[in-house]
Amino acid sequence: MRLQEEIRQFIVDTFLFGEDGGLKDDSSFLEEGIVDSTGILQLVSFLQDRYLISIEDAELIPDNLDSIGKVSAFVRNKRGTFDFEQEAAQALVPEPA
Amino acid sequence: MSERSVHHLLENSARLHPQRIALVHDSERVSYGRLNQEANRLASFLLQQGVTAGERVVMLLENSQSYVVSYYGILKAQAVAVPLNPELKAEGLKELLRELEPRVVIVSRKAEHALRECDPDSLGISLVLVKEPGLAWSGEHARIVVWEQALEQGEPDDPSYSGTPDRLASIIYTSGSTGKPKGVMLSHRNIVANTDSIVAYLGLTERDIQMVVLPLFYVMGKSLLNTHVAVGGTLVLNNNFAYPASVIAQMASERVTGFSGVPATYAYLLHRSPLAAFRDRLSELRYCTQAGGHMSRQIKEQLIQVLPPHTRLFVMYGATEAAARLSYVEPERLREKMESIGRPIPGVTMRVVDDQGREVAQGESGELVACGANIMLGYWRDPEATARALDRNGYHTGDLGYQDADGYLYVTGRKDDLLKVGGHRIDPQEIEDALMASGQLLEVAVLGVQDELLGKRLVALAVPLDAQTPAGTILACCLDRLPRHKLPGEIRFVQALPKYPSSKTDRPGCLALFHSLGADAGSVRPQAVQPGAADEEVHP
Repeated sequence: MRLQEEIRQFIVDTFLFGEDGGLKDDSSFLEEGIVDSTGILQLVSFLQDRYLISIEDAELIPDNLDSIGKVSAFVRNKRGTFDFEQEAAQALVPEPA
Repeated sequence: MSERSVHHLLENSARLHPQRIALVHDSERVSYGRLNQEANRLASFLLQQGVTAGERVVMLLENSQSYVVSYYGILKAQAVAVPLNPELKAEGLKELLRELEPRVVIVSRKAEHALRECDPDSLGISLVLVKEPGLAWSGEHARIVVWEQALEQGEPDDPSYSGTPDRLASIIYTSGSTGKPKGVMLSHRNIVANTDSIVAYLGLTERDIQMVVLPLFYVMGKSLLNTHVAVGGTLVLNNNFAYPASVIAQMASERVTGFSGVPATYAYLLHRSPLAAFRDRLSELRYCTQAGGHMSRQIKEQLIQVLPPHTRLFVMYGATEAAARLSYVEPERLREKMESIGRPIPGVTMRVVDDQGREVAQGESGELVACGANIMLGYWRDPEATARALDRNGYHTGDLGYQDADGYLYVTGRKDDLLKVGGHRIDPQEIEDALMASGQLLEVAVLGVQDELLGKRLVALAVPLDAQTPAGTILACCLDRLPRHKLPGEIRFVQALPKYPSSKTDRPGCLALFHSLGADAGSVRPQAVQPGAADEEVHP
């Protein structure tokens, strides 16, 4: 699954109970009333665990985290040149028996 | 002095220093002169529309310039300002609108949908003022007017109306963990008296700049607004507290002198913000205030450590019914009186009474009862609840506590929260404090679940700082603080406690969540908390 789609899936499942309600990639989480402080903590711990990145306190700003697009760019930037498409492709290769 | 109305606070500051900045919100900086003129225009427009003294005008607005203009504009028109949570869902909103019977509703884009679902026409609302409308409105009776057009139609001069300070100024909704929401009726005298007291004990002046992250529609936010407007200070409105680093950075760049929060605000700042890293850049931060419920010793001590050395921490206590504030601890005595809610503020008296209303001896437990010019007129259209809360002794807070030899008051718990466990009456707050003292938790609620043997069995719902911490480790830390019968039998971990929008713990919500988790105690399960699951607060 592509990074952006995976993040969208997490937001929709966790905060919108599976109903995306027309959520756009640039919809502001705060303006749409999707997340509060607790939600941001949930999002941050998901990102850290899933993408093995460390998010500093000073990085908790809207520019990094306030929309699906911003979160994706932030994670991509954190992971440097890591190729998510490649990872997704590899995940399809069956494990040796 | 006591004859002043709430909007006179704004008019006075606008007269004394019209150029001074009253509000900072994103890139907007609004002077006192402009703020007062806009409030006058709104008042004049409302009067043109036939709004009369005592009629309710509901505000469904987030913290913003239009919130402040609406609040003072409504009061200038002699109407009653009723700010409601703009995140209310249609069902809850409709119930409140039905009992308020407002003439006018002022709404921003965020709440527009819920309001339209309520069908304002059917509720007798004759005018809806919309800030930046995003919906197509149609209606037979309610006229829809765009905010900017309303202000253009109004006159910019101060209205010359006056009235008794005992008339109703504002209704603020509050509801505890049970029962339907109650509208606390505050008079102009209630609000002005409390504003004066707060200004005095915090030593506020026109040089003060407050960072506002709390909602203005609750009573604590309302106090931040009125006290700073009264002295001609500045309010910096920042609605991005979910991203705490942006708030801390703005506190430094705006050279903020004061910050106010509830316990959850400070727990979050300590857990996940660059507050400590900004210590040297918060050079003007003169004080922080905390109210809105009991904050654990652990958080207070951490906060004292992390805040800059010149920042004084005021721990305070109050209630919506008291127009906000009842008591505070002087920062100089905080270490010595760490668990206290302090002594009454100027103009307030507080006593500890038994069930018959008799004052108990020093050190003995009873209910805290308060008197003063700040105590509410009563609950909106609820004479029974009013009679329970107000009597000849004053306002019954519903909080249990005692007074020490120095006159400092202590709250030990809520009358309603006491749990009966195996014949003991147990106060969950004491146990929550012991659990927090383990240093392993972000927050915790101690609850009673039905038990055939004990009546109630103690359990805890907790948010661990480290998901790997075993529940047993936390309980072991409590062994030397609590007797065995006060140790919770079980701790279940979640990612967040259910909260009211006021950030207070929603205990019935916690209990429901506890039951829904199943019996694998101590495991961390991701659990989404629905924002706005309930909609009120009890205390500021």
